[in-house]
Amino acid sequence: MSDGKVTLTINGHDVEAEENRLLIDVAEELGVYVPRFCYHPGMKSVAVCRMCLVKVEGSRKLLPACATPVTDGMVVDTVDEEAVDAQEGMLEFLLINHPLDCPICDRAGECPLQDQTYKHGPGSSRYIEPKRTYEKALEISDLVVLDRERCVLCWRCVRFSEEIAGDAFIQLIDRGAGTQVLTFKDDPFDSYFSGNTIQICPVGALLSKPYRFVSRPWDLTSAPSVCSYCAVGCPLTNEARAEKVVRCQALPNENVNDFWVCDKGRFGYHYVSSEERLASPLVRTDADEFEATSWGRALDVVTGRLRTARRIGIIAGAHLTTEDAYAVSKLAKKTLRTSDVDSRLQDAGAPYERAAALSGVAGSTATLNDLESARTIVWVGPDPKEVLPVLYLRLRKSVLEEGAKLIVVSPRRISLDAIATHVIRCDVGGEAEAVDGLTWGFDTAVAGDVGDPLVVCWGPSSPGRDEGPIVDAVVALARNKNAKLLVCPPHAGSQGMIDMGVHPSLDPGYTPSDSRGKDTRGILQAAAAGELDILLLIGADPVADFPDGGLVARAFGSGVFTVAVELFPTESVAHADVVFPSAAYAEREGTFTNLERRIQKLEPLTAPPGSASEPWRICSRIAHGLGDDWGWAGFNDVWTEIRATVPTHAHVDLTWAGQESRPLSLHYESPFQPDPTHGRSVSAGPGAGYPKGHRSGAPFHTGQNWPLSWELRGFEARQRPGIIPSRPPEPPAGDDPVSPAPAPGAPAGDDAALRLIPRTDTPAGGDASLRSGTPLSSAFASEASPSSAKGWSRTGGEDGDSPEVKAGKSGVPERSGESSPAATWHSVEDEFPSFSEGRRSFVLYTGRLLYDEGAMVSKTVALKSLARRPFVELNEEDAKELGLSEGDEALVGGNGVRATLEVRLGDIARGAVFIPYDQPGWRANSIIRGVNPVVEVRHP
Amino acid sequence: MAEEVRVVTKRMREHTEDSWTLQRVLDTGGYDGARKAVVEMAPEELGGEVKSSGLRGRGGAGFPTGVKWSFVPADVSPKYVVVNHDEGEPGTFKDRELGERDPHQLLEGMIIAARAVGANKAFIYCRGEFALGSRRLDQAIRDAYGAGFLGEGIFGSDFDFDIVLHRGAGAYICGEESALLDSLEGFRGQPRLRPPFPAVKGLYGQPTVINNTETLSTLPHLILNGSEWFRQWGTEKSPGTKIFSVSGHVNRPANYEVPLGTSLADLLELAGGMQNGKEPKAIIPGGASAPLLTSTDVALDFESLQEAGSMLGSGGVVFMDETTCMVRNTLVTTEFFEHESCGKCTPCREGTWWAVKVLERIEHGDGRQEDMDLLLDICNGMDGRSFCPLGDAASWALRSGVKTFRDEFEQHVAEGSCPFGGGERVHVGARVGATGLGEAGITSQPAAGIDADSEPEAAQP
Ligand SMILES: Cc1cc2nc3c(=O)[nH]c(=O)nc-3n(C[C@H](O)[C@H](O)[C@H](O)COP(=O)(O)O)c2cc1C
Ligand code: SF4
Ligand code: SF4
Ligand code: SF4
Ligand code: FES
Repeated sequence: MSDGKVTLTINGHDVEAEENRLLIDVAEELGVYVPRFCYHPGMKSVAVCRMCLVKVEGSRKLLPACATPVTDGMVVDTVDEEAVDAQEGMLEFLLINHPLDCPICDRAGECPLQDQTYKHGPGSSRYIEPKRTYEKALEISDLVVLDRERCVLCWRCVRFSEEIAGDAFIQLIDRGAGTQVLTFKDDPFDSYFSGNTIQICPVGALLSKPYRFVSRPWDLTSAPSVCSYCAVGCPLTNEARAEKVVRCQALPNENVNDFWVCDKGRFGYHYVSSEERLASPLVRTDADEFEATSWGRALDVVTGRLRTARRIGIIAGAHLTTEDAYAVSKLAKKTLRTSDVDSRLQDAGAPYERAAALSGVAGSTATLNDLESARTIVWVGPDPKEVLPVLYLRLRKSVLEEGAKLIVVSPRRISLDAIATHVIRCDVGGEAEAVDGLTWGFDTAVAGDVGDPLVVCWGPSSPGRDEGPIVDAVVALARNKNAKLLVCPPHAGSQGMIDMGVHPSLDPGYTPSDSRGKDTRGILQAAAAGELDILLLIGADPVADFPDGGLVARAFGSGVFTVAVELFPTESVAHADVVFPSAAYAEREGTFTNLERRIQKLEPLTAPPGSASEPWRICSRIAHGLGDDWGWAGFNDVWTEIRATVPTHAHVDLTWAGQESRPLSLHYESPFQPDPTHGRSVSAGPGAGYPKGHRSGAPFHTGQNWPLSWELRGFEARQRPGIIPSRPPEPPAGDDPVSPAPAPGAPAGDDAALRLIPRTDTPAGGDASLRSGTPLSSAFASEASPSSAKGWSRTGGEDGDSPEVKAGKSGVPERSGESSPAATWHSVEDEFPSFSEGRRSFVLYTGRLLYDEGAMVSKTVALKSLARRPFVELNEEDAKELGLSEGDEALVGGNGVRATLEVRLGDIARGAVFIPYDQPGWRANSIIRGVNPVVEVRHP
Repeated sequence: MAEEVRVVTKRMREHTEDSWTLQRVLDTGGYDGARKAVVEMAPEELGGEVKSSGLRGRGGAGFPTGVKWSFVPADVSPKYVVVNHDEGEPGTFKDRELGERDPHQLLEGMIIAARAVGANKAFIYCRGEFALGSRRLDQAIRDAYGAGFLGEGIFGSDFDFDIVLHRGAGAYICGEESALLDSLEGFRGQPRLRPPFPAVKGLYGQPTVINNTETLSTLPHLILNGSEWFRQWGTEKSPGTKIFSVSGHVNRPANYEVPLGTSLADLLELAGGMQNGKEPKAIIPGGASAPLLTSTDVALDFESLQEAGSMLGSGGVVFMDETTCMVRNTLVTTEFFEHESCGKCTPCREGTWWAVKVLERIEHGDGRQEDMDLLLDICNGMDGRSFCPLGDAASWALRSGVKTFRDEFEQHVAEGSCPFGGGERVHVGARVGATGLGEAGITSQPAAGIDADSEPEAAQP
């Protein structure tokens, strides 16, 4: 047939299907389930288990349905006597060496082998010899346990590791009946994606260590949800036993995560049921202690303060939902009439609003699916494998499977380099120039590969630096080449925050605010200067996250009245005066908006601890206390209002059909679904469908990319003047980059679950100690040689208590107050004219690793141990000049703080160092001062 | 009196002392065929000649060589020629002798094949155990480069051609062409999913012609003398001569080259008849994979053997007399397949494992009446349902053992012991212990054989 369709007959039913689709999928859509073990729609067929053999007329042999494309006129019988005989025979073969472990196997009850044996298998075994045995339950990583006896050698785990994740830690060894799945000696299954192999293993051979022996599947209750970590927003199911989340699995969604999640998303649920969760409101007593109190009293204290406060700053965290974001925005801008509200902490230097210069949308115009249809992808940002892991998988697939060309612009080697067509290694901050080079085609070799369709991806990479010039360059490239833009903010709630106007210059729907407010830095500076009456932290932990530890310490040191809404007694909470406990993602209804503006729904599964509540509700209660009744009783009320007031979201439809009958289903039906440009319909090619009977059986579409303006007739936001900033926004009011700052307050030790910071605390100085206990004895300068001391040596005796700096002869201005001019890119040479006397000062390039010391990860037992110790990565040449080599210890200092870190040599621009942002033992933000920080490295 | 027709084996039989040296090869018309192919003939002509000769692959499957070549797309490059010199089929040792005694003939054939399909590079995948053969091949390749038969612009033409010799690491499955390619690329040697076939997407994803050593060694003569000449021997569907490796209870085990269609009885006669004047009880006509025959009254060509319920296969012919325990024979053969199963697919991996266990029980007196049917069920589970022909072949050999000699099996069960007195356990090759028992189970092949520098006493007829 010419239209790419074929007609065939399956078990007597005529079916029309697209050419080249696999018989196994076409049959399944018809409702004919062909038994299988090795086939997985997310991976290429291997046809090794031979379970799916079916009868096809005209073929002498039975054919494996998983490797047979449908052809016109094909006549298939899946229940033909011979086919059934083959299926039964194959099960018998698989069972001869299968242990009778069901009573002690985690998989029992949701095991395809068990299910198929019930359905197709023999009642008893004709095999009377001893079975093959292996040593049971090998721990092949900190998360995964392997039982080789149960393995049916379907290759799924091996194929996943090679094909999807690209890190083949798990392999088949030996041959014949001795073939076994194993990791290599001394080489654990050290993959960020290892958990997926547990989920796709059709038997109980690969097991989750945290879930092992925890529950029977029939004792679990489950609810669909969305990962609360990064901005990819992988759909998940949370599963609970006895009101405690005990497992979390990927929900397949072709548009977002295919079938996968990263291990952080999968195993990162423990924090929800952590004993340390805040469970009741707290107020600080006169005796400077926290006291549990009622909501009424805590709200009274807060509203009392707010009534008289003139200068209010609000910082919200980017792990909150879209509704929370709307509530924060409304509380700030409507009830409290302030635009001093922001959600950017780690990404404080990221002017997302400038992305709106392209389309009026301060976010992505591309979808994740656009990556796959792109001819070229330009990546300017952090290592996606570390910060947006499943985006890394999507990028990998786009390049390796779909043939997109990838151009990576990065000052240091990232995971994408290995699959990139071109890698442009630039200086830190040189990204903008490199991107301009692409725009204007300076490097013809690279420019020749900039094809159409083009997707330009940008995400803020190094906390603390000004990403403005990069965004502008990226936008210029996208505009110049008529490309789509994929804006990659870091966290699950980041995009929702921007969309809902938790932003000093954008109101909900990207309408420019009437008055430009203070951003996070500005708010903290105001607090530090004593110019703030009240600071609201809603799911925000600036002590841990804001890339200027000194400024945070000064802000809190000023004694500003602080209200915190939080999950945990974080270090920021310790500074608060009133604390409200917040519900976690698994405990609430809500939505996250991911980096492609897809809105996906969270369903509550467990009850929050104590009286913890959703942040939007807390905001609304505060507003109510101030006499502004928003009239919200539930989640739907918030959305009714969002639709009514936020033009971009007017058409978002959150009704989903058949929730009851399909507990895991999550369809957002709207006039825009299926979206012809973004959505791939379920029947599009191999990969659709999912093994029935598998617990993760779920539809392919969750969520909705809320429509871009031009996709929506009658919606003219794009044309409305003002949505595109006519001039580049002013750079964020920055701390003078070289102004001195005391080190952050002594961070609480691991044991200090809820340590109050006494009001009398002055900002702690350079004697702040590492969380690891390593004393941070002094500012670097006190030991540094004169030549290196310029830029940041301090006068005065004791470290940390003298916030004055002697300007270097570089002409760096003397500290001129908090309103110092914008951060500009200054090279090391500018600041350190003594450069030639020894390469000791480096531009700091930092970034998060997947497993870090973030509050949620560190409260998750399974992941806690995976976080690496901090290190400093140097260019080999730089290291040589400093006399440092791999594995050495180096002294790293900045902002009057220093630490001893392990040296790693890496492919990083000269003159720059990479230090992970937040690893156990030490936080890099303590040495960050101002925007575009510079640090010093030397031999200890 | 049956006689050999020596075409491919001519040089090695007439010049036993130095048939592998370049000098001798040049003295006996060597490289004339290749020169003709490169200098005088167009690639299409070569393909046409081979097609009309009806030459069928000598590696086992008997696929027409000219047809196989014609699947290679013309417009894709690079293309490769790969020689399957992994000869692992039990009872077959013809490629080994060809490699050791007439390596230049093989190189010549490779040049012709490469020229025909437009490949400029070829690989010889040489069975790891062929120590002498690989050295002879290596020397021959060096000498051929020296003589200008390999390298840039061979025979003064504009045709460049290089050969790489690669030694395998000891796995029967690597003789299967797609597993061979994976192994050659450095991966675990396991068959690939087809399509795509190697002719379209083979080595490193490029079009690749894979041919057996004997197939290629035939080419120089075929090209020099033409397809009509070639067709003077054999049958319409199985033209030409073929080397049969004869072993077992015969007086003169050796390789014999005879026209296809020669009767099994004549071949036995060539090999000097059965030892001690006995009668053959069972005959494997085409390597261990081929179902057993009980009569010598069958012609040795592809069609006749298929009709007789067996196959020509690789041409490894094993004659067994009545002293042979057929349970034990079936066990040995099945153990071979179990040991060589790559483990990729369920039926072959588990089926051979299971069958060996059952056969061991029967042979050692612990058989049950239902075991014979169980074995046949296991065969049904593997036959036609395995991923590659190894599993199918294992089932054929097993099924024919049980079916043809069911009475012997039943006797074992009834008597509770082996009537042939087979007490001690038998093992194929160098295998020790039972396979698959985890760490303790699999012991790799001892190095012996891999590099043992012994030139075999190639039995001379
Ligand atoms: C299990 C298995 C083992 C094989 N071993 C060999 C071998 O050792 N040598 C060989 O030439 N062909 C062997 N073959 C056949 C090859 O796959 C292939 O058909 C042959 O090399 C093609 O060459 P031809 O067309 O010249 O015969 C084997 C096939 C199978 C299924
Ligand atoms: S461990 Fe599981 S996924 Fe991996 S091969 Fe075995 S059965 Fe398949
Ligand atoms: S990729 Fe991001 S959204 Fe997906 S599971 Fe991992 S952290 Fe969660
Ligand atoms: S039949 Fe299966 S297990 Fe046996 S060798 Fe072929 S692919 Fe491997
Ligand atoms: S062979 Fe088709 S599912 Fe395994």
